[in-house]
Amino acid sequence: MEAILQARGLKKRFGDLEAVRGVDLTIAPGETYGLLGPNGAGKTTSISMIGGLLERDGGEVVVNGAQMTTTSLAPKADIGLVPQDIAIYPDLTARENLRFFGRLYGVRGLELDRRSDEVLEVIGLTDRADDRASDFSGGMKRRLNIGIGLFHKPMLLILDEPTVGVDPQSRNAILESVEHLSDEGMAVLYTTHYMEEAERLCDRVGIIDQGEVKAEGTRRELVQLVGQLDRIRVSIAGSADGAIAGIRSLGGVSDVVSADGTIEILATNASEVLAPTLAAITTAGAAVHSVTIDEPDLEAVFLHLTGKALRD
Amino acid sequence: MKVLTIAGANLRRFLRDRSNIFFVFVLPIGIVLLIGAQFSGDFEPTVGVFEAGTEIGASLAEELDSKGVVTVRRFDSEDEMLRAVERGVLAAAVSVPGDADTEVAAGRQVGVGFLTRPDGLGPQLRVSVIEAVSAVTLEPNAIAFAVSKGADPSVAAEASSASLAALPSIEVSTRSTGESLFEGVSGQFDIGASSQLVLFMFLTGLTGSAALIQSRQLGVTTRMVGSPTSSTSIIVGEGLGRFVIVLAQGVYIVVATVLLFRVDWGNLLATAAVLVAFSAVGAGAAMLLGTVFRNDQQAGGVSVVAGIGLAALGGSMLPLELFSPTMTTISRFIPHAWANEAFAEILRRGAGVGDIVTQLGVLAAFAAGLLAIASWRMRSVITRP
Repeated sequence: MEAILQARGLKKRFGDLEAVRGVDLTIAPGETYGLLGPNGAGKTTSISMIGGLLERDGGEVVVNGAQMTTTSLAPKADIGLVPQDIAIYPDLTARENLRFFGRLYGVRGLELDRRSDEVLEVIGLTDRADDRASDFSGGMKRRLNIGIGLFHKPMLLILDEPTVGVDPQSRNAILESVEHLSDEGMAVLYTTHYMEEAERLCDRVGIIDQGEVKAEGTRRELVQLVGQLDRIRVSIAGSADGAIAGIRSLGGVSDVVSADGTIEILATNASEVLAPTLAAITTAGAAVHSVTIDEPDLEAVFLHLTGKALRD
Repeated sequence: MKVLTIAGANLRRFLRDRSNIFFVFVLPIGIVLLIGAQFSGDFEPTVGVFEAGTEIGASLAEELDSKGVVTVRRFDSEDEMLRAVERGVLAAAVSVPGDADTEVAAGRQVGVGFLTRPDGLGPQLRVSVIEAVSAVTLEPNAIAFAVSKGADPSVAAEASSASLAALPSIEVSTRSTGESLFEGVSGQFDIGASSQLVLFMFLTGLTGSAALIQSRQLGVTTRMVGSPTSSTSIIVGEGLGRFVIVLAQGVYIVVATVLLFRVDWGNLLATAAVLVAFSAVGAGAAMLLGTVFRNDQQAGGVSVVAGIGLAALGGSMLPLELFSPTMTTISRFIPHAWANEAFAEILRRGAGVGDIVTQLGVLAAFAAGLLAIASWRMRSVITRP
């Protein structure tokens, strides 16, 4: 399947600062891609070039087969851009804001009314549709900000840190909306410095720092890339000595240690070895009291790749 | 279509701001009313008279009243009349001494007090009062003179009355020469309406620059750039929004002054042409200002100063006819001057579109220049990271 977005060798310099140094990104239709990195890593600059808001110093961007520049209109119609800072008219109502930007994306007539109602439903602002945005809470404004981006049903939705500064309830609503859109087949490029958001939403993640994508892949691929393993701790009653050899022989298991009623297993994929491990223990005559699985997160990957924590 | 969408959003946002309603629709009409009141033909200064119970005083009040140029108000207290002058309630006051009748009858000089404010119509009113005093004391003086020469008082009075009746009256005719400064002005509101229309249209245009800056600050302009909307459409849409707001105010002032003050705007086609041309100037100036400044407070402050300053230099506060030659030359570089001149031609001399081609051409040139520079500036500003 042809990629909806192909960005190759993106470069941008602001004076002496080399903000983006050869970023490559490819996103397939329906895929949710997370660009994970700390503040100042080059996320916003990269998506500004991808969205045609900013002239690039090098590289190219192809959206749905069309070259993206700051002046090209066709590829912009395929993108829904949700900026990090809320970009709405506070003195217009939620519905008026949606209709205004909808018209700019070429939505007309009855479709304009229909989409307004649909999007207001999706972002949970149906009851406040005709209230001015200036009267909204920060979270409601964020949701309206997102609603504008998806109004014209773009093939690619670009969300630049959409949950910054919002309350937990609105944050969850935003994440659920993104999951819903992804389930409906919309490709999503999601930038964040929240590791848990990237893990929850994204099919693939790119780790970006100092203007470079250090590594990309699924969470598991990234974890494996840096040599991190899942850790399974099984608390048992009775002896399971007979099961140790069998567990050690399972594919993907790199080490097994048994001591003081606890068996600790290091594996590349805990979910794949958990069931045969438990079967081996019970077959050996021991009873399982509890199971704990520690999967290495992207924070550890980021630390490994950049030598610093994600929130530094 | 997208141009209209952007312009429509501008208009909607503008109308949502209640302060705009006051400054754009209420204030200009209030100012036209105030200026019109100053030009009012119904103005008649009030002169107070303290008669002191004398016949001369009563005659003097009647004589002043009969002239029809002042309103006479009689006072029983000289102090009260003095305070009325001090407070500006009276333009002047005349105080007749209590022994005026006997002194005049005896042929002696009587001092009549005249009181006025230093900054008013004192000199003109003094002449009127002197004329009135002369008129009412002429006959008693003549009788007193005859009696002093040995005539019988009743015979002297009869002869005096007959002589006055027989005297031929002197008629003073007045004729104006040269050209009137405001020839053809038919109503008291005409001058104020056109000059304030020019002032407020431009001021509204300039203050609209803040809205352009707000759109950038809000990130909405960047978002527009991210949509499939060309920068040309964005620029034209923003410009059209400002143009429509300025033009709407101009049309409103014309209609309101016709309905409220019966201002005669002359040839409507010519008036419409000036409104359109000057609205384009206002829109261009607004866009230029909106691209020069980075925050709306700066732009708002400069807008008011520039709007009022240019209006003064362009003849919206003091008519161009009263400008010195140097100021007249300077005003040639101010668009207001050309708009005011065009309105002067239309309102006072019945000009049509053909008669104000020069003024319209200059205004169009101003508009084209401002819009061209503003578009160039705006194109670089909206694509700035």
